[in-house]
Amino acid sequence: MISVRNIFKDFGDLRILNGISCEIEKGECVVIIGPSGSGKSTLLRCMNLLEDPTYGEVWLGDKLINDIDPYLHYDAIEASKTYANLVSTGLTRDEAIAKIKKEDLLKKHEGPAFKKICREIYEENHLDINIARSRMGMVFQHFNLFNNLTVMQNLTLAPVKLKLKTKEEAEAKAMELLRRIGLEEKKDEYPSKLSGGQKQRIAIIRALCMDPEVILFDEPTSALDPEMVGEVLDVMRSLAKEGMTMVVVTHEMGFAREVADRVLFISDGQIAEEGTPNELFSNPKTQRAKDFLGKVL
Amino acid sequence: MNFISKLIELFTTVKYWEMIFRGFKMTIGISLGAIVLGLLLGTVVALVTIAKNSKVMFIPKLICKIYITVIRGTPMALQLFIMAYVIFAIRGFPQMLTAIIAFGVNSGAYVAENIRAGILSVDIGQTEAGRALGLPSSITMMSIVIPQAIKNVIPAIGNELIALIKETSIVSMIGMYDLTMAAKNIGSGNYMASYIVPMSVVAVFYLGIVYLLTFCIKMIEKRLRAGDKR
Ligand SMILES: Nc1ncnc2c1ncn2[C@@H]1O[C@H](COP(=O)(O)OP(=O)(O)OP(=O)(O)O)[C@@H](O)[C@H]1O
Ligand SMILES: [Mg+2]
Repeated sequence: MISVRNIFKDFGDLRILNGISCEIEKGECVVIIGPSGSGKSTLLRCMNLLEDPTYGEVWLGDKLINDIDPYLHYDAIEASKTYANLVSTGLTRDEAIAKIKKEDLLKKHEGPAFKKICREIYEENHLDINIARSRMGMVFQHFNLFNNLTVMQNLTLAPVKLKLKTKEEAEAKAMELLRRIGLEEKKDEYPSKLSGGQKQRIAIIRALCMDPEVILFDEPTSALDPEMVGEVLDVMRSLAKEGMTMVVVTHEMGFAREVADRVLFISDGQIAEEGTPNELFSNPKTQRAKDFLGKVL
Repeated sequence: MNFISKLIELFTTVKYWEMIFRGFKMTIGISLGAIVLGLLLGTVVALVTIAKNSKVMFIPKLICKIYITVIRGTPMALQLFIMAYVIFAIRGFPQMLTAIIAFGVNSGAYVAENIRAGILSVDIGQTEAGRALGLPSSITMMSIVIPQAIKNVIPAIGNELIALIKETSIVSMIGMYDLTMAAKNIGSGNYMASYIVPMSVVAVFYLGIVYLLTFCIKMIEKRLRAGDKR
């Protein structure tokens, strides 16, 4: 479903993501945990390109959604001038490719053949980012409901503007989802009149109104008063049960343990460990995971 | 009791009324024209200045920066002179249009700064939520960010427009016949021979216009705020 291929993310001189690859399968609930500042949000935001990875590729299904990263395509590397120079000095194909990748040797201009093949790969595979995003929902820590719109308008704006649904269809879908979370009487309220838990549940169904293939959650309960955490987790739990594909960054270890199919432990911009909740929580292998879990459990 | 009798004289003389009315039309015409031009120009300039840096936008952004700096850094009267005696020093070019352009271009720079600040004051999460749903940046801007930005900047823009209306009185410096000029002419006339009376009457006109505009702004503000009682 989502395939993250060797992504790096730099903010200025700081390398925040340091070579992350992972596959999110259809129907899976993947929970991402890790210390504060380890890059969890950045990874999640790279999946829908709210952050543009510095290197690496992000794929949705079989479509590339960011720019091509030539280091991931051997045929592109082989078409580069740098490769030709290395081979002419006597290196074999594999040695030349390994050297280029290891030492980051590709330059901006690598000749017309290189340019052409990069463009071909891109044109063959790329998917417009707005279309990709319309297929991936996102739920934010601070809800980010549109303050100038009513609940109903929040729910129907995107599907109608993007012509995925008619106004009537979108409103019918929105009503159905509002009923599901028990907030149908709030449909004409503005977000400022809702509690945090209500806002976040609306934010979740705003994503659902797009009929997304996957939903990304960035600490959806961290900004909530404790008594409202449960109602939001309940909605997420029921989504997971229905087989919605979900990627969830959270500090709710209980939720991770119960709902996750797989847990990724991120530390210093890398996936330090991954496994089923049972493996990771009961029996962490790396020292970093042990330290982290020792603190939070 | 001289004041009262002069006042009565002014109110009962058709010629004076005609002079005031002529000035009033000019003041209102310049103000309205300049407000519309200033708002349009200001919005466009604000959108350009907040656009992402890119090759295409480099020149427009530079132009907008220079425009804002120059307009805000030089006196209004000087700008009016330059428009009247240099740029539009064409015979037969309507004076009113010159004034509208001069004041519109001037207030556009201030409005642009207000709108830019308003847009930047909208939580970045609003934009991110829009983009994450797949909305293009134009729709996110128009449907989500700008409506919230406008709400934040209506009071500041209102003040700017009020200042603009009062500032139009300097058109008399290029010989245009506005409310202020009318007062001056009436006062210096042989029969009236008093400045205080026509000046006071015209002051009331300005007050009325400003009051009306303030009222309209308050109404707009109220309607826009309906959504966010906290
Ligand atoms: N736009 C940005 N510009 C510069 N630095 C950034 C930016 N966004 C994030 N960072 C830095 O990247 C690092 C990782 O941030 P990120 O938000 O991904 O961490 P996180 O794992 O989600 O942490 P938390 O649990 O606190 O949310 C932090 O040190 C943060 O300061
Ligand atoms: Mg985070």
